[in-house]
This record gives sequence, C-alpha cells and structure tokens, in this order.
Amino acid sequence: MIGSQAGCGSALRRTRGPARRPLSAQVRGFWFLAPLFGFIGLLILIPVLGTLLDSLFRDIIYLPARFVLLANFQALAADPAFWGAVRFSLLFVLVSVPLQLLLGLGMALVLNEPMPLRGLVRACMLVPWAIPAAVTGRVFQLVYNYSYGAANYLLDRLQLSAEPVNWLGTSVSSFVAVVAADTWQTTPFAAILLLAGLAAIPEDLYAQARVDQAGLLRRFFSITLPLLKPVLIVALLFRTIQALRVFDIIFVLTGGGPGGATEPLSMLAYRHFAAGDFGYGSAASVVLFAIALGLSLVYVRVGRFQEGP
Amino acid sequence: MNERRLKKILILAGAAATLLFCLGPFVYMLATALATDPEFLGPGREFVPTLAHFHSVLFSESVHFLRYLLNSMVIAGLSALVSVFIAALGAYALTRLAIPGGRSILLIVLGISMFPPVSLISYLFKLMSALGWMNTYPALILPYVAWTLPLSLWILVSYFAQVPRDLDRAGLVDGCSRLKILLRIILPVAAPGVFATFLLAFIYAFNEFLIALMLTTDQAARTIPVGIALFEGLHGQVAWGEIMAAATVTTIPVVVLVLIFQHHIIQGLTRGAVKT
Repeated sequence: MIGSQAGCGSALRRTRGPARRPLSAQVRGFWFLAPLFGFIGLLILIPVLGTLLDSLFRDIIYLPARFVLLANFQALAADPAFWGAVRFSLLFVLVSVPLQLLLGLGMALVLNEPMPLRGLVRACMLVPWAIPAAVTGRVFQLVYNYSYGAANYLLDRLQLSAEPVNWLGTSVSSFVAVVAADTWQTTPFAAILLLAGLAAIPEDLYAQARVDQAGLLRRFFSITLPLLKPVLIVALLFRTIQALRVFDIIFVLTGGGPGGATEPLSMLAYRHFAAGDFGYGSAASVVLFAIALGLSLVYVRVGRFQEGP
Repeated sequence: MNERRLKKILILAGAAATLLFCLGPFVYMLATALATDPEFLGPGREFVPTLAHFHSVLFSESVHFLRYLLNSMVIAGLSALVSVFIAALGAYALTRLAIPGGRSILLIVLGISMFPPVSLISYLFKLMSALGWMNTYPALILPYVAWTLPLSLWILVSYFAQVPRDLDRAGLVDGCSRLKILLRIILPVAAPGVFATFLLAFIYAFNEFLIALMLTTDQAARTIPVGIALFEGLHGQVAWGEIMAAATVTTIPVVVLVLIFQHHIIQGLTRGAVKT
C-alpha cells in the first residue's frame, strides 16, 4: 500500500532490493553525495586552500604576483594593527562568550518553567536571532548616539550617570558597546539551545530530589548543571567560533573604530582585501583560520566523545 | 511554600526581563522609523508619528531599497532551495545507503562550516571576477548554497533518520529507484523538517553580509543587509528615520515568518546543534 503511493509499480525490477551488492550500493551512495562534495569542495575548500597559498605571495591587484614565502607573516608580526586585532578578537571572545552563555542559561532556566504565555515569550526570543547582524549594527549605532540615543536616555532617566557617555568615542566604552550589541543578538540563540537541553532532563529526577528535600540551589547544582554539561559545551564551542569570526555587527556599528580599538582580525583581513592587497589580507585570514580550525577540531572531538559507541 | 512563592516571582520577573531585553531594541527601531523626528529621545523633543520615512524608502527611486529587497529574496530563496535539495540527496545517502565513514563525513562537514567566511572572500572575488560574474546573482547564490549546506545536511539527517525504514523497503519492493524513493516517499513524509530546513537556510542566506559586501558593487545584485549598512541618506546627514524604516521593512517579513513557524525553527535549530 505504502509503496504504491510512490507510483513505481513495476514488480519486474524487484530483483534489486534485498540482494544488492555492497560495492555498487557504496558507489550509488557517493553519487548522492557528489553534489554536496562538489559545492563544498569548489566553493569552500578550494577557496580556503587558495587563500592559504596566496598568503605566501605578494599579491596586489593589477600587479604580477610574486612568491615571497613568509614575508607577509613577518610584516603582520611587525604590524601594530595586527596585534591590536588579535588582542581585540581574543578579548571579545573571552568577555562576550561567557557573558552570553550565563545570560542565556538564566533565560533558559526561566523559560523552562511553566508560566502564562510561555510560547509567546519563546517566540520573541527568536527576534534578535532572525534580524541580520548588519541591521542590528545600525540599530545599535542609533542606540549609542551621544545626544539622542536610547542608551544615554536611559542612563539619564535612571540617574545612573550625570553626563552622557560617548559610547563609540573611547576604546573602553566602544568595547562595551560592541559586546552589548552582540550579546543582544546572540544570547537568545544560546538560550534556545540550552532550553532544548533542559527539556531533555527527565522530570522524575526533580520529583525525586523534592522528595529528598533538596533545595532550589541544590537541585540546580546536582541535577541541572551536570546533565546540561554536554549541551553547554556545544553551545560554548559554537559561540566561541562565531565570536572569533565576528564581522558584520562591528563593521556597521563602529567600523573598527575609534582608531582601530574594536577591529577584529576578520575586519583587518577584509580591509586589506578591499584595498586590493590580497597577499597580506590572506595572511591575516590564515591566522584567524588557524585559530578557528584548532577550535573546530576541539568541537569535532567533543562531538565524537559525546556520541559514544 | 515560601520557596515556591519566591521562585514564582523570580520566574515572572525573569520572563519580563527576557521579553524586554529581546524586544527593546526592536521596538526602538520601529519607533524611530515611525517618528517624524528621529531625535525624539533627545532633550525637549517629542514623538510625533508619521509614515513619511516608509514612504520615501519605498517609493524614492534613488534609494534602490526595493531592488535590494528583491535581490535578497531571489538570492536567498534560490540558495535555500538548491541547498535543501542537495542536502536531501546527501542526507538520504548518509541515513539509507551503506556509506563507509558516514559519521566522519558529517563531522567533517560540520567542521567546514566553522571556517571563517573571511578566508573565502578573496578567492571568491578572484573567481567571480575571472568568470565575469561580479555583481550578479550567481556570484552570491553559488557560495550561499555551499555555505548553508552543512546546516541543511545536519538538520535533514536528523529528520530522515526518524522516517521508518519500512517505507523505503516498500518502495524498493515496488521497484522504485533510490531517487524516486527520496523524492516521492522520504521528502513528503519528512515535509515539516524539510520546510524547517528551507526556512533556516533562507534566513542564513538572507542575513549573510561579508560575501555580499565583497562581491556586489551596486543595486544590480546588492542585498538588503549591505544596502542598509552602506545607506547614507540623500541629504548628507545620517537619515535615521529612513534607515530604520528600511530596517523595519526588511526585518518584519523575517520576524513574521519566524513567529509563525517558531516551532519548526526551534526544532531545526536545536537539532542542528544539539544532537538528540
């Protein structure tokens, strides 16, 4: 009955089914995977390898490329802007990722409880995630406006600051501004991941703990946290890798300023690409790539470890 | 009893804070788009509603906003369609056919999705220049298909794994080819999952910024995130009202889509990231 739904009613070809040869099945399997490999190979792997190769060339637009081995990397090492970008990228990861995961965990714990309109609140959490990061950058540019932005308006209204803050004007405040904007954009996503993890924890465990008179905190630290650990690790690595390659929101919000204070590695590379210096930009993105690759390998290892046999 | 009350209060306060946090900037964007004076929060100003910003964004020829929006819709739509189809072929092979090292293939594909996009753009720029495709739809669609494939593959694998094998067997007995089994049995049965995958791939492609920034030069192919990022207004000063109106028109369809299909999207997102 079910089979005939597909409308392939030829019993003559039945021979293929149960007794197919494993080798031909494998070959067929690879045909199904061929377009996937083709796209990823041609448009991701080869470009990455091309960038790797290009980092060894002095390759400036309209000029003939010249092999220079590691000269681009030597130039990077002598470039204060490069070290500033490395510093910013790492600091950004170190500050924003834990902040976002903690906030996200708080949201997930709240949203995991029964309450009126829970579905609606959950749906609203998808809003920041769904908005393009470039648009978020624009909105926060206005939020941080010195004379009429919402941030200074709130500070003034809540009497937290006597003077308006020049958010995007100093290196410390612009760092805070960038982290806050990124936190708005990505925390709800982390919360949704953690919420899925929380939902998978059996309710019996909590019921049993209540019978044993275990308090709220005790239940959190002995049941919730240990059982949530695998999901927390996944979210941590995902967020780390995303934070490492941050570009859109900062490009729009600060453009890397003031004076390069909020320029991540990806923007340093882009800036050189856009200026036509492909070799130098490639070298910078190879450094970023190496850091991200290291973390990807960690992720793959954790994924495998989690899966078990 | 006391603990329970405290907990209830904490939860409601937390939910209210979450709501405020998530919607605050969004509402601010909306309000600025509707305000005659975008400086309405400044000292001595007030909020007077108007639709003038929407009017000028939607109907002023020189802004090219509608063209950017059209570009984004077509590019993201086609990318997501192709991505889901190719990922469905791959997911079928990985869940149904004897692929040696199928698990490793999945993990390698996931690892590839972790590559920073900036390490692709110089090569893509050269490739598309050499092909003469700079500032055209294919220049963005092809990389977007590749870029969304890991996500699509992971989500579809988790959905396909749940479709009972008996359905395949029935198809095989009936003499269907593998491709027909995928198209006529698996895809319809897994339709909600396939749709969730399409939506996610669409949103990822729609929101992409860096590749579009590098490979487009004007309204012929420029997408809406780039258009909004580079929007400078017509009269020199930053036209906040127009920018926020453009941002609103861009995000409202996505947000409405997300709110309607939130269940599918959350399921797809968490399946892609948290293995169940």
